[in-house]
Amino acid sequence: MANLSDEDRENLVAYFDGELDEESARTLEARLNLDPQTRAEADALQATWNLLDYLPRSDPSPSFTHRTLEKLALQTGPHAHAGSSRWLKLLGWAAAILVAAGLGFAAARWLWQPRTPADLDEQMVRHLRVIDKVHQYEQVDDLDFLRGLDQPDLFGEEPGS
Amino acid sequence: MRDPDIRIMLRVRDDDPAAFAELVELFNHRLITVLHHLLGNADEAEDLAQEVFLRVYRVRKKYRPRAKFSTWLFTIANNLALNTLRSRQRKPVVPLNVRDSGPLGPRPAEQLVKDRLNQPVQHMQQQELAGIVRKALDELNERQRVAVVLNKFEDMNYAEIAEVMGLTTKGVKSLLSRARENLRVALKDYIYMDGAPQE
Repeated sequence: MANLSDEDRENLVAYFDGELDEESARTLEARLNLDPQTRAEADALQATWNLLDYLPRSDPSPSFTHRTLEKLALQTGPHAHAGSSRWLKLLGWAAAILVAAGLGFAAARWLWQPRTPADLDEQMVRHLRVIDKVHQYEQVDDLDFLRGLDQPDLFGEEPGS
Repeated sequence: MRDPDIRIMLRVRDDDPAAFAELVELFNHRLITVLHHLLGNADEAEDLAQEVFLRVYRVRKKYRPRAKFSTWLFTIANNLALNTLRSRQRKPVVPLNVRDSGPLGPRPAEQLVKDRLNQPVQHMQQQELAGIVRKALDELNERQRVAVVLNKFEDMNYAEIAEVMGLTTKGVKSLLSRARENLRVALKDYIYMDGAPQE
């Protein structure tokens, strides 16, 4: 039963569905009258279509409308957003904790950043004068004694001589 | 405004509390029938129909009465049904049907069932025939099945089906033709079982 082209079959089905224009419908009707094979195919297609009537029809359960309205009330009622606002609060707290932890970590890194050899060299250059004379500084007890040594009259010299 | 369903939907849009119940009552039967034929499962169809109505309510403020209300409703239903079918394909349900079982092949009882399905039986029970038709419908691809179900059970014309499915009317014509040919091939052994002519 394959004497119909795809286009013929499309037109045949459209004819059954009342979707074919008048002229094409007349042409098809003439062919159906003259060609037993086309008629057989048309009959088979229609008989198949009728078999779909054997499929069971569904009846909604008696409480369907009531249950649907109940579900709607749950979704749109005053308590509908309670759950979501609790989640929002939790999310807010979680975000605050994360931000605080991030700031703490950054501060700790800045305060306790490890010293590199380059940092140590720079520090020694900055204090070179002190390091250079450290053996002399070790000989004196305090700054007052050093200042005392700096008095010109201590060694009998006349001022201006 | 000729379509009385549009008037109800406009009342839903304007937050008339009784209108939504009216809409559910009016369309639940048609919607569940279509979804049952698309999904092949009555409980799943009812759950999804409920979801369709809730979706209608959620988007009510966006509703614009451009076409028949039922076309808009079945567009939402079609989208949700296709999502369900696709997620089902990702998580295939293992059917509990009798099949080849174990290393020794099918049991005798299973073989009998198989044989009965392969041969036309003149006095087959309606229920068994319904099962065979159901199987043939399930074997169509999703789009063919949607087109067939809307055409057959909602009596939608090609333009309405095209709007629901986002196709052209020409596309629907071709889709329905292929679907009906596939059904004819799948059901060729059963088409004249109910006493119709056999040439």
